[in-house]
Amino acid sequence: MSSSKLCWPTPNGLPALMPTVVLAVSILLLVMSASSVELNLVRLFNAIPRMFDFAGNLFVTPDWEYLPTLGTNMLQTMEMTFLATSIALVISLPLGVMAAKNASPHPAIFHATRNLLTMMRALPELVWALVFVSAVGLGPLPGIMALSFVTIGFMGKFFAESIEVVDSRQVEGVVAHGASWLQLRTFAHFPQAFPDFVGTVMYILDHNLRAAAILGLVGAGGIGFDLVMAMRMFDYGRLLPIAISIYVVVTLLDRASDKFRRRLI
Amino acid sequence: MAQIDIKNVCKRYPNGFEALKGVSVEIAAGSFTVILGPSGAGKSTLLRTINGLETPTGGTIQISGQLVTQATLREVRSQVGMVFQHFNLVDRLSVMTNVLTGRLSHRSWLGSLLYLFRREDIDLAHDALIRVGLTDKAWNRADKLSGGQQQRVGIARALAQQPRVILADEPVASLDPVTSEEIMGLLREICTRDGITVVVNLHQVELAKRFADRVIGLNDGLVVYDGPASGLDRATLSKIYNRNGDQVDEQLETMLAYA
Repeated sequence: MSSSKLCWPTPNGLPALMPTVVLAVSILLLVMSASSVELNLVRLFNAIPRMFDFAGNLFVTPDWEYLPTLGTNMLQTMEMTFLATSIALVISLPLGVMAAKNASPHPAIFHATRNLLTMMRALPELVWALVFVSAVGLGPLPGIMALSFVTIGFMGKFFAESIEVVDSRQVEGVVAHGASWLQLRTFAHFPQAFPDFVGTVMYILDHNLRAAAILGLVGAGGIGFDLVMAMRMFDYGRLLPIAISIYVVVTLLDRASDKFRRRLI
Repeated sequence: MAQIDIKNVCKRYPNGFEALKGVSVEIAAGSFTVILGPSGAGKSTLLRTINGLETPTGGTIQISGQLVTQATLREVRSQVGMVFQHFNLVDRLSVMTNVLTGRLSHRSWLGSLLYLFRREDIDLAHDALIRVGLTDKAWNRADKLSGGQQQRVGIARALAQQPRVILADEPVASLDPVTSEEIMGLLREICTRDGITVVVNLHQVELAKRFADRVIGLNDGLVVYDGPASGLDRATLSKIYNRNGDQVDEQLETMLAYA
């Protein structure tokens, strides 16, 4: 067999122009930004002993007396997560429909909803939590509000995107028989986008649990306050159990969501 | 009065393609009409303008004397069932729910939001499934069925809405010959027994000859033949399938051999 020249699947056998340019520019920009944020490997290597130091500190006898409080606070964090996600779910569904190009009642509503959703998720949960803490005071309530707020921004966008990929043939099959606007959304768009919706909700639950775990930082309830205090006071006896409990809950949720998804799809 | 009255309908797509160049056809109630024509002749467009899936750029369409406009769309569609080449079932819903979507035009928005139907709707859907012989699959998911079964669900959906007209857009183009036969037989039986007006787009001349009362030949957006199926001789077929003035005798020989 004769060796033949390798070429790309383009008319002239050369790499396509646009992807090459985009790739080159991206690499250039990344290199430039790496130096401007002082991404420094030497400094990273020098820090390794100190990291081991810190890790070594973690392995002390856990503060057993603290465990019941940890349980209560962790439970509160989980309650905040599920409440905030459920509230956001109910509000995101109609917003998602309005923000989907193929399901929105009017282009103006489509653009307005898209902008609203972008605005809601522009700032992280912690910043919204600060806003709500100063509005309604300390406790889990501002935490739930902040969490739902940002979650609506994400979930609405994800829902809209799942609706946009629904096959127009199935929609036509239902519309041809005289279904109304809302009936069409209920009987064609919703069932077809449903597996995507479930995936989104599961991912967001996971994300919200971790977000809820740090909201305590600004006095918005949950395990976060204890976490930050333990860090500041070098209270390693508490720090490790807190970290482990977050890890365990996130892992359990992940397993549960995997099982749940597999049964649905 | 004609069941479907198409008057001088034109359709020009935004890209400038003229799919229909002034088509006028009257279709009698309870008749079985087949539309033949090469791909791109405007068959699908014509069928889809009848229930307003496409808006004509000129001319008018009346169904039982009612003008098809944006305002009357839901009312018109509640009388017109449609069967599609790719079945267009909602895959993730059960067969029963898919058939029930044919009843949606009679249900309120609030009940529909909760997937609620009336007992009568369920009975109608059940009857429709008996007609197409799929009662045992009622609670299966639609995408678990074979192509022929899915098309029968499509027909049941159209039947469940108790339409006056059923439009079928190449209903057998994705099916094997035996299944095609069954589906065409089913549509013919629905027309004869229930007196529902059936209009079918087809690619198979032999099926048209066997099942149709009347054949309409479309070519390049114009009606080139309108008459009984028995009038489909070689000259007529070459007129229907003639492309850009070239005679397609060679393919026609083969086609007629099977017809």
